[in-house]
Amino acid sequence: MCDTRSGMRGSGRASRQPCPGKGARIRRAYGARIRVLILSVLLILIAVPEGTAQRIHIDVRARGFTKLKVAMPAFSGSQDLAPAIWEHCARDLALSGVFELLAPQTYIDQGPLASVTPGTLKDWTLIGADYVITGSVARLGDKVQLRAEIVELASGRRLVNALYASPSGTPYRIAHALVDTFLDQSLGIPGMFSSKIVFSHRQAGKKQLMTAWCDGADPRTIGGLGDLVVNPAWSPEADALAFVSYWRNNPDLYLMDLKTLKVELLSEQKGINITPAFDPSGKRLAYTLSTDGNPEIYVLDLATRQRRRITQNWGIDTSPSFSSDGTQLAFCSSRGGTPQIYLVELASGKVKRLTFQGNYNTEPVYSPKGDLIAFTHLAGDRRYHVAVMRTDGSSLTVLPGTGKGDESPSFSPDGRLIVFAASDGQLYVTDLVGSASPVRITAGEGEYAEPSWSGVIRQGG
Amino acid sequence: MSNMWKVLIVVVAFSMVCAAGCAKKGVEPIEEVTPPEPQVTQPVVPEPQPVMPQVEQEVTQAVIPSLEEEISAFEMRDIYFDFDKFNLKPEAKLVLSEKAAFLNAHPEISIRIEGHCDERGTAEYNLALGDRRAKSALDYLVFLGINPTRVSSISYGEERPVDPGHNEEAWSKNRRVHFDVQGI
Repeated sequence: MCDTRSGMRGSGRASRQPCPGKGARIRRAYGARIRVLILSVLLILIAVPEGTAQRIHIDVRARGFTKLKVAMPAFSGSQDLAPAIWEHCARDLALSGVFELLAPQTYIDQGPLASVTPGTLKDWTLIGADYVITGSVARLGDKVQLRAEIVELASGRRLVNALYASPSGTPYRIAHALVDTFLDQSLGIPGMFSSKIVFSHRQAGKKQLMTAWCDGADPRTIGGLGDLVVNPAWSPEADALAFVSYWRNNPDLYLMDLKTLKVELLSEQKGINITPAFDPSGKRLAYTLSTDGNPEIYVLDLATRQRRRITQNWGIDTSPSFSSDGTQLAFCSSRGGTPQIYLVELASGKVKRLTFQGNYNTEPVYSPKGDLIAFTHLAGDRRYHVAVMRTDGSSLTVLPGTGKGDESPSFSPDGRLIVFAASDGQLYVTDLVGSASPVRITAGEGEYAEPSWSGVIRQGG
Repeated sequence: MSNMWKVLIVVVAFSMVCAAGCAKKGVEPIEEVTPPEPQVTQPVVPEPQPVMPQVEQEVTQAVIPSLEEEISAFEMRDIYFDFDKFNLKPEAKLVLSEKAAFLNAHPEISIRIEGHCDERGTAEYNLALGDRRAKSALDYLVFLGINPTRVSSISYGEERPVDPGHNEEAWSKNRRVHFDVQGI
């Protein structure tokens, strides 16, 4: 319903409504079994996945994790649609961070193939596959459908046997649903493709906000917010966006309700009103103001509109990010002479410096699980990289990234992946294992920056 | 004596002209006399002519510049910063004292100070850094006696580079504070 009912499509005024459900707390601990909710509305699931008895528990964030090898011969059926849907599926498998698609040239049968017969299983084992995905595409009125099967070769059981349907304008939603089901059934990882990314886009002298699905599908501009809009941040339930606009000739802080599309001015203090970040409950917002002299961090209670000053320091304090329990803020401060990452305990105000490596560490973001902090790190090669560390500052690890200069990391809802902006003006997704090159999710003219990954968006609601 | 000198000069000049002509076009001696003449006289005559009007223009401009010209000169001149720094360098303080003199001479004018950064570093931190740069300039103008109500500031971070290049030459121009006349 979400996709079809909104009259905003193509109007340029508004982004797609994410249609979050009531009380939809984001369950971020992967491994916890949750149903693939997106199927319930947009897609019709006519056959529940078979065989759910054993669940493999693998730490997909551990170094040395070997990606699961997947063979996916060409889909059978309507050949004017099948290759495009196959491409979407291949792309989302690569983006998932845990699957590796084996090159079709190595297949004994390259398809099109609607299903795998028991007698041919060893043809797939032979080329090193752990799973084989087959499918058949058909057009039904204004809908496109994919009947897909996923066979686990080690056991020979059919992991997935389902029919996915979507309006023909949104064939990528079929790939989202298939790969989400696959992630859930094989590794117990919940719905990453039910999440979106908000980012800024500079083109023709204007910088505006855009949203897209996390694989970059269906990019949409949120217009009408002024010519210079920066620092977008999702509310935890992905039903609101905080952002900074120069609409009133000052960097002021705004809040946009994505259900009503109402925009509200949150903070218009003299000086900067920037870098908003929601707390996990969605009730508070941490941000930066310079109204009291120089950039300091404040926390705004969204119900009472009372603000509380958190830092008190001669240097720059900015880019706050709440810990997953909401008791601490990671932030960037130049109080030691260079920008470094610090942690402040909100109750006591006690501050601890976390980074000591390098002289430029900025934009810290807590992982959803609360065990890691990602940030932008100027390394010994004089390039900016995305790095991660434990919340005590130990185990600083630089992610390989693009090598061209990477910044502005943001975690996926399950904490396995990171989206970041590269100096080539494009957005990329990478895993924390560093086992493959980052996947680019943007295309087209202009410059993309400041990506922020939403929580899981519940359909229906 | 003076007549003798004049004669001597004419003779020497004529012989030099002749020699020059001969050197250049030795093959065709018939034409050698006439062409060199304008070569000698022309450079002599135009030389002083452009000098005089230039001096006159400079003098008149310096004496009575229009307010528009003054404002334009005021807005043309930015101050610059080192990478990741917001402290005022000595030359920046000199420029700021000129800005203060202008503001003292025109108490009706209010200005906006824009803080900018180069593209390096991160967008969020640069917004804060641009704020500090603008504040450094604003504080110094207030220190020099300018009423703070006449001066506002805004940070654009790395969003509005003056030079789109990706090298130190561009970056050094972009790490700036710009002054904008707001109200008269």
